[in-house]
Amino acid sequence: MHLAEIDHYALNGSSMIHKAQTASKAVLAVLLLSSIIISQDIYRLLGVVLVLLGLFLVARIPIWHIGHLALYPAFFSIFFAILTAQQSWVNGLVIMTKAVGAALTMLLLITTTPYVDLFALFSLFMPSLLVDIFLMTYRSFFILLDKISQLIRSIRIKGGYTPWQVIKNFRTISAMLGTLIIQSFEMSERMYRIYELRGYNGKIPIRKEPGNLTKIDFTMMALGLIVLIGVVLPWEI
Amino acid sequence: MSHIHIPDGILPFYLWVPAYLITFFIIFLVIKRMDKEQVKRVLPFTGIAAALMLIAMSVPLVIVPVHLSLAVLTGILIGPKMAFLVVFVVSVILATFGHGGITIVGINTLVIGSEVLVGSTLFRFLGKKHLTTGVIISVVVAVLVSMTMTIGIIGGAVGFEEVLPHTPHSHDENNVGNHNQETHQEREHIDEVVEQVNYLVFSGWMAVILILVVGIALEAVISLLIVRFFSKVKPDLLDTIHGFVQS
Repeated sequence: MHLAEIDHYALNGSSMIHKAQTASKAVLAVLLLSSIIISQDIYRLLGVVLVLLGLFLVARIPIWHIGHLALYPAFFSIFFAILTAQQSWVNGLVIMTKAVGAALTMLLLITTTPYVDLFALFSLFMPSLLVDIFLMTYRSFFILLDKISQLIRSIRIKGGYTPWQVIKNFRTISAMLGTLIIQSFEMSERMYRIYELRGYNGKIPIRKEPGNLTKIDFTMMALGLIVLIGVVLPWEI
Repeated sequence: MSHIHIPDGILPFYLWVPAYLITFFIIFLVIKRMDKEQVKRVLPFTGIAAALMLIAMSVPLVIVPVHLSLAVLTGILIGPKMAFLVVFVVSVILATFGHGGITIVGINTLVIGSEVLVGSTLFRFLGKKHLTTGVIISVVVAVLVSMTMTIGIIGGAVGFEEVLPHTPHSHDENNVGNHNQETHQEREHIDEVVEQVNYLVFSGWMAVILILVVGIALEAVISLLIVRFFSKVKPDLLDTIHGFVQS
């Protein structure tokens, strides 16, 4: 799970893309994603991927650390690529480039924008209940990861894991997950009481006042628009 | 288990746009019909159920090349309405780091949402009398329903003959036109791909079927053990959600 690593880049990055407004980064991501979905031309798609790699460079995100996440969708696109490659190998390549490009777009957005800022953007058009679930999920995820690593450590120390004894291990793992859920349930009840005390009325206030758009915001949105126009307009190399 | 991992730009827009619209419509209905007080109470646990589902769906099982979803378990623990919202949230988070495209979120929500709905509804009827049978039947039927939906969707995009098990060279060879020749070539290609799938001592379709059977069995067993543990330690939760007390 790479959520913690992604979170680290998003929160600790200090590049100009990190400093840009969340809305402008979201607009750029939507425009780049639309370009990738619309385009059927390998050269244009490779162009979009190049733009994305350039943006990673500007954002100072070590692509070699998180780039493998973009290969994950490429792996799942192989099946479709093989089917399409029967008509032409370029078509197969188009499918795989689309997969990698779309994944890189989302990676750029989440490695340069903290999740809380993204949720604040979601809150502008999403029901508050959904945004609250996003926030709770995100918070609970890290708490659960910590609890799981503690439980695994104690199971190993107490001899709860025995190689090749599948049934025994299953029982241990299920009991571990059960304990985890019970502990989490109690934690959630505590959280509910804390939220009640703090005046929670079914909506967590995370709406962030949008700041003024700067040069970098306009540049990013213009770049997205140029890429989209470049993909849509008919031209040949 | 039925989470679709297809990246963006592969499925046609007439599949993913309506799926998004239907998902948003269901979300709108779910939120509209929810009791606000009940929502406030279960919201913190909903986040935990979502995080658990997120972890289960991110970690591939070592013994079979699939991952759990714990969708039915989530439906049993927090009810189908909240679980549907959780499925949407989990699908969005997974899509942001390439676990299925962002355009596939609607389809994934509907597929896994159907698993949640079928599983928790069956559990409501069957789990009251016999917990073990109730959980196993709920999980198996729900996963089969969602898998059928998955095959239907992928089949709709690339052709049903490409996703369903078939016997090679079984069609009428006297009626071979250009289209049939192309289909024949595609089938041979798929068979080549499937032949490369290996599991234990099996290969080809046998291996594919075995992987699915083991995957469904693992999902059912893990869900059952957790629900049983829960019914012993915290029976009031199942009672509140499903309106019955475990014996």
